[in-house]
Amino acid sequence: MKNTGVIFFPAFDWAISPTHPEREERLLYTRDQIFEEGIMDLPNIHEFKPRLAQKKDIARVHFCVPNVEAQITDAHLVSAGSALVIADAVMNGEVDNGFSIARPPGHHAMTVAHGNRGFCNINNEAIMIEYIRKKYGIRKIAVVDTDVHHGDGSQEIFYDDPDILFISFHQDGRTLYPGSGFVYELGGPMAWGSTINIPLLPETTDEGILRVLDHLVLPVLKEFEPELIVNSAGQDNHYTDPLANMRFTAHGYAELNRRLAPDIAVLEGGYSVETALPYVNMALLMAMAGIDYSNLREPDYKPERFKENPRNIEYIDQLVSHQLFNFRSRQQHIEENRQKYGREFSEQRNIYYDTDGISEDQSRRLRVCRACPGWRRIDSSARHRTGKMYHVFCISVPTFACPDCQKEAMDAYKDMAAYQNNFDFVYLQDRANDRYIALDVAKGREEVYE
Amino acid sequence: MLIGIDVGGTYTDGVLFDNLQSQVVKVVKVPTRSEQLQSSLMDVLDRLLSDQDMKGIQRIVLSTTLVTNLLATNAAEPPALILIPGPGLPFEYQLTFPHSYIVKGSIDFRGRETEKLNRQEIEGVIETIRASGLKKIAVVGKFSNRNPQHEHTVRDIITAKFPEAEVGIGSELAGQLNFIRRIATSYYSLMTRKRWTTFAHDIEQAMQKRGLDNVPLDILKADGGTMPLQHALQYPCETILSGPAASTMGAKAITGQNANAVVLDIGGTTTDISLLLDGQPLYASRGASINGQYTHIKAISTRSLPLGGDSPVCFDPQKGIYIEKIRKGPAACFGGGNATVTDIFNCKYDLHIGDADKSRQFVQQLQVESGVALPELIDLVEDNVMQQLMDALRNIFTEWENEPAYRVWEVVHDRKFKVKRIIGIGAAASAIVPVLAALYKVNSFIHELSPIANALGAALARPTLAFNMHIDTQKGTYFTDYDGICGNLDKGSSLQMVDAHKLAREVMQKLAEQRGLAEYADEAEFIREEQFNMIRDWDRIGKIFELGMQIKPGFIKEFEEGSI
Repeated sequence: MKNTGVIFFPAFDWAISPTHPEREERLLYTRDQIFEEGIMDLPNIHEFKPRLAQKKDIARVHFCVPNVEAQITDAHLVSAGSALVIADAVMNGEVDNGFSIARPPGHHAMTVAHGNRGFCNINNEAIMIEYIRKKYGIRKIAVVDTDVHHGDGSQEIFYDDPDILFISFHQDGRTLYPGSGFVYELGGPMAWGSTINIPLLPETTDEGILRVLDHLVLPVLKEFEPELIVNSAGQDNHYTDPLANMRFTAHGYAELNRRLAPDIAVLEGGYSVETALPYVNMALLMAMAGIDYSNLREPDYKPERFKENPRNIEYIDQLVSHQLFNFRSRQQHIEENRQKYGREFSEQRNIYYDTDGISEDQSRRLRVCRACPGWRRIDSSARHRTGKMYHVFCISVPTFACPDCQKEAMDAYKDMAAYQNNFDFVYLQDRANDRYIALDVAKGREEVYE
Repeated sequence: MLIGIDVGGTYTDGVLFDNLQSQVVKVVKVPTRSEQLQSSLMDVLDRLLSDQDMKGIQRIVLSTTLVTNLLATNAAEPPALILIPGPGLPFEYQLTFPHSYIVKGSIDFRGRETEKLNRQEIEGVIETIRASGLKKIAVVGKFSNRNPQHEHTVRDIITAKFPEAEVGIGSELAGQLNFIRRIATSYYSLMTRKRWTTFAHDIEQAMQKRGLDNVPLDILKADGGTMPLQHALQYPCETILSGPAASTMGAKAITGQNANAVVLDIGGTTTDISLLLDGQPLYASRGASINGQYTHIKAISTRSLPLGGDSPVCFDPQKGIYIEKIRKGPAACFGGGNATVTDIFNCKYDLHIGDADKSRQFVQQLQVESGVALPELIDLVEDNVMQQLMDALRNIFTEWENEPAYRVWEVVHDRKFKVKRIIGIGAAASAIVPVLAALYKVNSFIHELSPIANALGAALARPTLAFNMHIDTQKGTYFTDYDGICGNLDKGSSLQMVDAHKLAREVMQKLAEQRGLAEYADEAEFIREEQFNMIRDWDRIGKIFELGMQIKPGFIKEFEEGSI
């Protein structure tokens, strides 16, 4: 039996739009199930009250354009804040582990936030992880994204961070939003191998996913030795989800969480509001609390309906050995990259925001550093829904940046602030000193989140 | 004239209140004979009525520990439980009580049957129960509050096969969400119902004998409201914890202000603490707890500290000066044989309580024993008392502030309990409460009627009634968590919030009439209202409404708040 902290925050007064999957009704039946079961009354279940995340917590992860206020509603602050409350409870030892069942979700939100992508504006897990690192000084964290959609936001945020192991298994990006998460996406040049993607074929069952868990995820976690494991807990691998095509069951979710034993789970997607969520949320909660879940099942669950295809097992086994090999050769690759890129690595990319119909152009530069993960610059432009075009410059200093990188980044910001430039905003995200500045270039005004 | 009687664990208090003059006419206090509650009760009633014209008596309210005692001593015959849990938590979590039998069958959160009952299995269980000699059966299903059909069917089978059994079903006894609390509530209700009925019958006879058969007789509930005696037969467990409820309502009556207040009932051995939020008593968020089990019984949240006016102040070479938790007798100033908390405050503030010289004498004796100088000794004890009270208050405030929230606005508008006054009742309140209030820099409030606030609270409390309603327009049904009241909707998916309100009002009106409290039905208010669009494949297929309606605790119309 474990002491498990829970926040249940259904946001019964918030929706993206009245008929959107991310609407008030989403956790209604989960509420019914959890409260009817009476699981919150058990002595080892501790229900917490959500709080609002601070703007600073958000600025620690995101460059919100033009500012934090523009990209969020109070519901986002509560959802992110819920993860922070659970994080505090776990880190303070009040509970053994914790589950934030809150909406709206976050794992598609990337470093630069111009609008909503895949129902997400800000990334709850990333905000929680940087908060934990800052407040509790721990460095190595593993995120296992079990949502059916590739956690492209979380991946992007931690892509250059060798201390965050990001593992995502999801329905193959060729068949589902957001169309990414392929095996060759393995991390930035200096963090190669700490991003592991496992694209699964549609119709994969419990057996297939648990095979990935046992033969790839768990061994990789063991070798990486994280100080904390976070489950980015989407529930849309479920066989009844209307937006995806997998065959995962509530029992499978429980089994996955028992074996993975995450310290913290944060709800992500999952839109089968009646036939999946009430059962999957119960399953997760029971598994985390160490409660026997053999009596939990969907009303229409019949084991014989969920046999794995032998060809899929073959595919999974190949995938597993391929990614194990990649993970184990990561040091060698990073060393080669260091030789290859010298002082700086740069790339261009375009990011599409499906919910808001925004297309963002980015050019990114990473300082390749021997002593630390290196500081980053992002030059980003996008036309917002309002019709206004924003061109912004972002400077990001990692939490464990070396003094040289800190100084270089600071100088770069001072340069930008002192001389005329054609950006609308210049941002400094100084995680090392926990200081976040947004400079409105035209007005010459700085907003500081401290 | 109004009568309130509070049968407490130690004393039975009675008050005769003239509502026209708004003053207490008579007060009676006798020791409670716990094995003969009726006689204590009747004794007090007779003394109150001794020189009264019976015609002038408009209402009698009783607050009694009968059910509390039955539950505490397990003195009543237990029921067997037939449980229909279906999938979910392991069955062991529902097998809290002996003689529990689990049968097949399952209903989901929308009230759909997801597994059928097995008649043969049920008949077998009934035979086993009959063979075990038990004659009461509670039938409780998970989500029976969304569809009681399974519970009804099992009840019908019992009635056919075992007609002498007394049967109760969960959807009628405790319809709120939470299966485990429903089991506990149903179990305890059935366990105490028979004894309570006998008690009620005795009381009715005694009233008849006194020519009071036309006077309304109400029972005080744990939520600070009353219910007619007849109605209490169905819900005996609602009468538990009515003592603290009586005190809280009494405190509210004598202050006559709707502010945030702390009510401290400081008796001889314990201090009961409750909160008034803008004048409304705060409820326990998880319902009353019986023998460590949460239930669906609405109760005023009270916290008890083992600290009272008679708590002995002692010296021990190891511990130094300390306050003993167990009472040894009255305070020295009332003829007791040792220094107590009351004696300390009596000395420090020259309160002239009882024989003040006695207080001084015993405190000095303690000084000699301990070698601690007198002012220091007194401050030590005072600080200790204040610390205990302030710690308890801080816990209560934080607990309330940290109660879970499910809506954005609840989190944005973070709640904070700002105490505006501290109301002291109970015998030792006048010594302790002013000091505590000074520490919080708020006013203390102690009224000459404080010692009988409990009986007064009972006399003046009005009936309360609350239910939640769940409306599902796709299924065309509504369910309440009260008495199992449910039905079909006239309007289907076109039902709007105004219609939902109307439906809830109709149910409230009907219930109020049945229970003889029609005059309060207009005061019922919505304490909760939510509506959810049910969307499937981007189309709206129906709506779910969740309403909560309540006649909240308050005072009867014959009493004007603030008039005391």
